[in-house]
Amino acid sequence: MHGPDIQWYVVLSALLFATGALGVMLRRSPLIILLSIEIMLNSANLLLIAFSRLHGREDGQIFAISVMAVAASEVVVGLGLIVAMGRRNVELDVDKLRTLRG
Amino acid sequence: MNAAAWTCLLLPLGAAVAITLCGTRISRRFAGYLATTAALAAFGAAIVAFIIMLGESPDERAHTTTSWTWLSAGPYHFGLTLLTDQLSMMMMLIVAGVGSLIVAYSVGYMDGEDEERRYFAYISLFVFSMLLLVQSGNLLLLLAGWGMVGLSSYLLIGFHQERPSAIAAAKKAFVMNAFGDATMALSLFLLIQHTGQLDYAGVFATAPHGGTVANMIALGLLGGALAKSAQLPLHTWLPDAMEGPTPVSALIHAATMVTAGVYLIVRCHTLFENAYVIQDLAAGLGAATLLMAGLIALVQVDIKRVIAYSTMSQIGFMFVGAGLGAYPNAMFHLMTHAFFKALLFMAAGLAIHAIVGEQDIRQLSGIGKLMPFTKIVFLVGSLALVGIPPFSGFFSKDSILASALDHGWYGIVIFVAGLIGTFLTGIYAFRLYFIVFTGEPTAFAREHFHRHQGKEAPFAMRWPVALLALLAAIAGFLQFAPEWHPLTTWLDPVAPPLVEPTSTQEWLASALAILAGVSGMAVSWAIYSAKRVRAPKPVHLFERKFYWDELYDLIWYRPADLVARGLYAFIEKPLIAGSLAAVSGGAGFGSRELGRAQNGLVRSYALALASGLAVLIVVFVSAR
Amino acid sequence: MANFLIWVVWVVAAFACLASALAVVSFRNPFYSALSLIGNLASLAVLFLLLSGEFVAAGQVLVYGGAVMVMFLFVIAYLGDRSEDSPWSGGPSWQIVGAVLAGGALLAEVCVVVGLKAGGLLSSTQQVDRSFGSPESIGKLFLTDHLLAFEITSVVLLVAAVGGVVLGSHARQMEGDARS
Repeated sequence: MHGPDIQWYVVLSALLFATGALGVMLRRSPLIILLSIEIMLNSANLLLIAFSRLHGREDGQIFAISVMAVAASEVVVGLGLIVAMGRRNVELDVDKLRTLRG
Repeated sequence: MNAAAWTCLLLPLGAAVAITLCGTRISRRFAGYLATTAALAAFGAAIVAFIIMLGESPDERAHTTTSWTWLSAGPYHFGLTLLTDQLSMMMMLIVAGVGSLIVAYSVGYMDGEDEERRYFAYISLFVFSMLLLVQSGNLLLLLAGWGMVGLSSYLLIGFHQERPSAIAAAKKAFVMNAFGDATMALSLFLLIQHTGQLDYAGVFATAPHGGTVANMIALGLLGGALAKSAQLPLHTWLPDAMEGPTPVSALIHAATMVTAGVYLIVRCHTLFENAYVIQDLAAGLGAATLLMAGLIALVQVDIKRVIAYSTMSQIGFMFVGAGLGAYPNAMFHLMTHAFFKALLFMAAGLAIHAIVGEQDIRQLSGIGKLMPFTKIVFLVGSLALVGIPPFSGFFSKDSILASALDHGWYGIVIFVAGLIGTFLTGIYAFRLYFIVFTGEPTAFAREHFHRHQGKEAPFAMRWPVALLALLAAIAGFLQFAPEWHPLTTWLDPVAPPLVEPTSTQEWLASALAILAGVSGMAVSWAIYSAKRVRAPKPVHLFERKFYWDELYDLIWYRPADLVARGLYAFIEKPLIAGSLAAVSGGAGFGSRELGRAQNGLVRSYALALASGLAVLIVVFVSAR
Repeated sequence: MANFLIWVVWVVAAFACLASALAVVSFRNPFYSALSLIGNLASLAVLFLLLSGEFVAAGQVLVYGGAVMVMFLFVIAYLGDRSEDSPWSGGPSWQIVGAVLAGGALLAEVCVVVGLKAGGLLSSTQQVDRSFGSPESIGKLFLTDHLLAFEITSVVLLVAAVGGVVLGSHARQMEGDARS
């Protein structure tokens, strides 16, 4: 069974990663930023699975499952924060959340 | 002998150290007694040494004693060596004797001062330094004593620290003396280079004869002598030094320190004879100084300044004597001058002390009526100063004038200058006497005169003055050049004179000198006492002291000030302070600009992360 | 024939993946962005299947799509429609340019670096048997070679759960104080 070579997957993964990065850097809503982070994590997962297939070992897949678990945990915490912000009527705009400025 | 020499030297030092260490634990009076006892004991030790020396034959009278090697550098060794020979013996007696009298007088004069202990510590230090100077056995130790007397002079002139004028005068004295010290040090360098040693015996035997080096050596020593003795051109500090207390003026600036220059020339006469041009220069400068100082003294209105210019003038006589090679005469005049000048200063001090410190002769006028003792002793001193027989000045001054006649045409010029100087001395000395001590007391004098327990001055102040008056009267009989000259014989092994005036010249010189002196007295009697002739208006040139201070201000002070200001404006402020400001400003600028990166926006931070990651990837990949 | 089919599926899945990713970062409405992400996850699952990662694909759909995204949608629904007016604006002037440049740089770098450094490893795909990527082999690996990772992951999940509860209850407490 043939299919696209690994290079295609590398390029696809890089494109996904760049898209996710653009989303993080350019959107103002924390929700969308979290979603963009998910995209980046998924791109890394894709690459892991692809290389695991290339080398014929399942270790990459194990790694990808762990990544998924960690991503889920992080989303839990992030959404908890956003919900807490929403309850206090803090505006959901990262440009307004500036108290860490130096 | 050596024990006596060391005792004489170290006792005043011990007193100075003791007074300093005890501080306020001893009373002021006690500090005074301690200093006086030390000085008298030093004099006692000097007498003991003198008696021992009298018993020795003239060839054996030079004793050196070294305590330890002070400096040792390669082939050069300099020890703490004391030399006790005829010349240093004479100086020891004068310094310790007159010194102890003046220290005793200060117990009364400085009574009640807040800082009396400091005064006695300083004055004991001075006595030690002067004794070190005259007793040293090599030129290096002499330079050490030289510097220390300069230090003591600075400390004592500036004794009244709260007066800015006193501090300025002290600085002026020190700086001018430092110039002299520098020229002396240069001359010592040359001597070390050419002879390899500084002990008197060795140096005088092996120093170069004639030529540029010998001239340089003698010139350097002369520079130091001129500065210390306040002769032209380094004389401007002496009148200002009158800011110090009167006993200081008596001891340091009349009897001993200012005569150190004369001692130096006489001690190193071999070096000066090797460079006779410089020796003639010394005589010429002495003559010029004696004329100039005499002219300035004619118009001074501060009693101490008149006496100060008189000192300058008389030391000019001594320089004339030393410069012409009449060493015993110069030393004799040094001795008699110590007596009558200290007497004059101390008598003036009696008047000043009695009238709340006033020194202006116009205010003091006529106090002779209120203070008869002072009047008598001042008269004795003035007569000695002018050189009227039988007082001591006559014997010593005239012999110097006579020696000028034995030196060719240059000597004749100096002789004439000396006569004019004697004439001027007559005028200014008796101008002072007539104004201050004759006539009716002014209202100011009457109002402010206060007696001390019914007498015009405390006993502690009167007995040294009386003793000095006695010495000023009779000391002259030690040597009368045409007939008997024990002093010349005494000093002959150390400083044989170069000039031998004949008896005729001596009598001629004496006669002319007496004539000049008496006519001077007569002129001032006519103007100031009998008031037959109106006093001429003071000549502006004399009042401004021949503009020497202004000249030095222009040559030395202004350029130095300009350089200092220039350095401050162009180097210190922009470079040194500016570099510091640049460092701090740069740090502030850098931190402010870097702080712009902390704008608090998450997106910027994310961008920074991503860019950093991009760069790092390149770095790590290319590094492998 | 089979190869061609694989290629078609791959192209379609990749295209859907990219399109949905772009949609996530572009939509103003967060609801639409979340839905686009679900699409992204689904297409990724297809790609995983193409790579013989059956278990991972199933896990992706169940965990990511079923749990995480549902959570997202719940939160978005709770918070209401907070559409941004102009999602890309704001911030310093150089933000957009810098972001595009940084993203482009990362893209280029990943491709170049992997291509340069991987060397000859990228050319030969290994042959695998049928049990590659099956639940049993994954499970076996988890419980033997990667036991530590397994345990730590479970701890991380526990911590996240506790954190979620704490964040939630804390907010309720504050709300209670604010009301009374």
